[in-house]
Amino acid sequence: MRNILIIDDEDDIREVAALSLEATAGWDITTACCGADGIRAASDPERRPHAILMDVMMPGMDGPTTFRKMQLDPEIAGIPVLLLTAKVQGVDQRRFAGLGVSGVLFKPFDPLTLAAQISEALGWKD
Amino acid sequence: MTVFPSMVFGLMLVTLGLLGVLTLRLASRSRLQKVAIEQLNEALQRSREFVEQQKSKLAMRSDLEMVKDEFISTVSHELRTPLTSIRGALGLLSAGLLGNVDPKAQNLLRIASTNTERLIRLINDILDLERMESGRAPLKLRRCSMYDLAREAVDTMTTVADGAGIRIELNSNAPRDSIYFDADSDRILQVLTNLLSNAIKFSPAASTVSVQIDSNPNSLLLRVVDPGRGIPLDKLDAVFDRFQQVESSDSSKKGGTGLGLAICRSIIQQHGGAIWAQPNRGGPGTTLWVQLSRSARASDAASPGLLEPPGERGEGLILVCDDDPGIRVVVAEQLRQHGYEILEAGSGEEAIALAKKFSAPGAGKNGTASKPISAILLDLYMPGFSGWETLHQLREIPATASIPVVILSVIPPTDRPANAASAQGWVQKPFNENLLLAELGRVLRVKEGSGHILLVEQDQALAQLILGSFQKSGMRIDHAATLQQAVDRCLLGSPDLLILDLTLPDGDGFSLVEWLRRQPGLRALPLVVYSGREMTEPEMAKLRLGPTEFLHKEKVQPGQVEEVVLEMVQRLRNPAAVA
Repeated sequence: MRNILIIDDEDDIREVAALSLEATAGWDITTACCGADGIRAASDPERRPHAILMDVMMPGMDGPTTFRKMQLDPEIAGIPVLLLTAKVQGVDQRRFAGLGVSGVLFKPFDPLTLAAQISEALGWKD
Repeated sequence: MTVFPSMVFGLMLVTLGLLGVLTLRLASRSRLQKVAIEQLNEALQRSREFVEQQKSKLAMRSDLEMVKDEFISTVSHELRTPLTSIRGALGLLSAGLLGNVDPKAQNLLRIASTNTERLIRLINDILDLERMESGRAPLKLRRCSMYDLAREAVDTMTTVADGAGIRIELNSNAPRDSIYFDADSDRILQVLTNLLSNAIKFSPAASTVSVQIDSNPNSLLLRVVDPGRGIPLDKLDAVFDRFQQVESSDSSKKGGTGLGLAICRSIIQQHGGAIWAQPNRGGPGTTLWVQLSRSARASDAASPGLLEPPGERGEGLILVCDDDPGIRVVVAEQLRQHGYEILEAGSGEEAIALAKKFSAPGAGKNGTASKPISAILLDLYMPGFSGWETLHQLREIPATASIPVVILSVIPPTDRPANAASAQGWVQKPFNENLLLAELGRVLRVKEGSGHILLVEQDQALAQLILGSFQKSGMRIDHAATLQQAVDRCLLGSPDLLILDLTLPDGDGFSLVEWLRRQPGLRALPLVVYSGREMTEPEMAKLRLGPTEFLHKEKVQPGQVEEVVLEMVQRLRNPAAVA
């Protein structure tokens, strides 16, 4: 079974996204409310996520910074990361694409197709 | 011997005296020079300060733009965040993924869901429109095929159409190699999808929406025809304005944002094209027309920076009269860069004095300029002598009566008052460089050239009669029998005057005028409307471009049109001769 880590500072968004992925794809979900917590959760060898869905704007360490920090840790650098952002302007999109993440998804997402969007971005066939 | 020394002494005294006077004179002259230099320095300092002020004003404006940018970006982000939770929660509940919901509650969930979707679309559309109209979303032009784009739009909308029981049909009369044009494909696709979505929304079930592509060497014409309820005549233009729907309940019933057509218009204008709506002939429903040039051209309306300045270089001495020194400086600089020589006047009185001086025989012999004034750019609202009074005076003085005048005013050219008839050109403030250059170029061409007239008339026999009557006039006259031919002719080389029949096989005179109005070099074109019916006042207002005359086919014989046109051309060239 797939295990997905969701990192977002908004409690409600974490809950809705988790529910949506559990209900539509049956994935196992772990959540974290900030970048530092996210890195800790991803480092747990018992529950290593197959993919990380991460918010961009977070207090403290933002999404791009967290991503760069993850790349420094060989244990978690290989986990694909998808950014989930409410910023839709071209400049932001180009900046995110330049980071080396596996994809960028936009808020507000459709709860019924979020899992399909993730699978498509990562090339998961199941 | 006593005489000699005294003479010498006397001479010495005189010389000394003369020297003294000379020294004093020289001293006073150098004082004068000093004063003059000081004044010059002061003036220089003032003009430097003025330039600095203008620079800081510009910097402030770009700062403001940045603040606005930042604001829109932040607001859209802040609105999206709570909407993400709402949309997610409602979506999961109404899909029944978390257990069944009571039917009444289900209905409420559906209402909440659809309105959330609408709010999201609205935020996206506002952001989109704002970015386009501020010119911050430049077009990424590349060669694309209109047919492929239309096919893609049709494919995208097929699911929605199927759901509504509507068939979409795509036809093209255009040869394959003539459907390529320069455009931002994503943006054009956005327009086509939007037009199709509207057509589907307003068409009854089991009907057909059709997309038709036509082309010629210069332009592409695309039509989206729906058999829907149609748009009332008085709303055909308004539907392209923001939040203007035919019925106020449409946004909630049809789920639109009221911004779709405004976005379409913005995109098409940015491409230098035109978009307009027309009721279908002999049936219900509406046809949306999109006209695009095949070679890349951006228009001034949406993005002032993008328009290519007219290639030709100007020539002649132009008098710029405006009480605002800032405007004078800017206009003078723009015109100088395009080869014009400039005289500036800060008031109507000054303008008249300069015009007299530089148009009198022998003008230029006093060493200040080498030629008479070619045209005057005149501000309307000035303290003291207004633009109106100045214009009137200029026309009264024989030496200045025939100098072409271009009015600069906040009033749009379509609302130009009757007493502006003796002005040859009109540019609405705030204007951009290219608009001004195009209008000035046109006015100067009319003054000098032999005159080029375009006759737009679908009736061949009638056209032949009119063309024949012009043979002796020495003017070049071209004929266009369709809306599209007229558009092509105008794109090929702008005429100096248009004779327009209102009924055309592929549109009508109103659409042509609407299109002309969007073209920088053609929006103030002199026009003679030669129509078979009596015009109402609102119709006349819609048709008025530059100086406009209305002729009734029953009252004015085809052979007499020439007379009216010649008189009009004469008046435009030399207002005093006719007035």
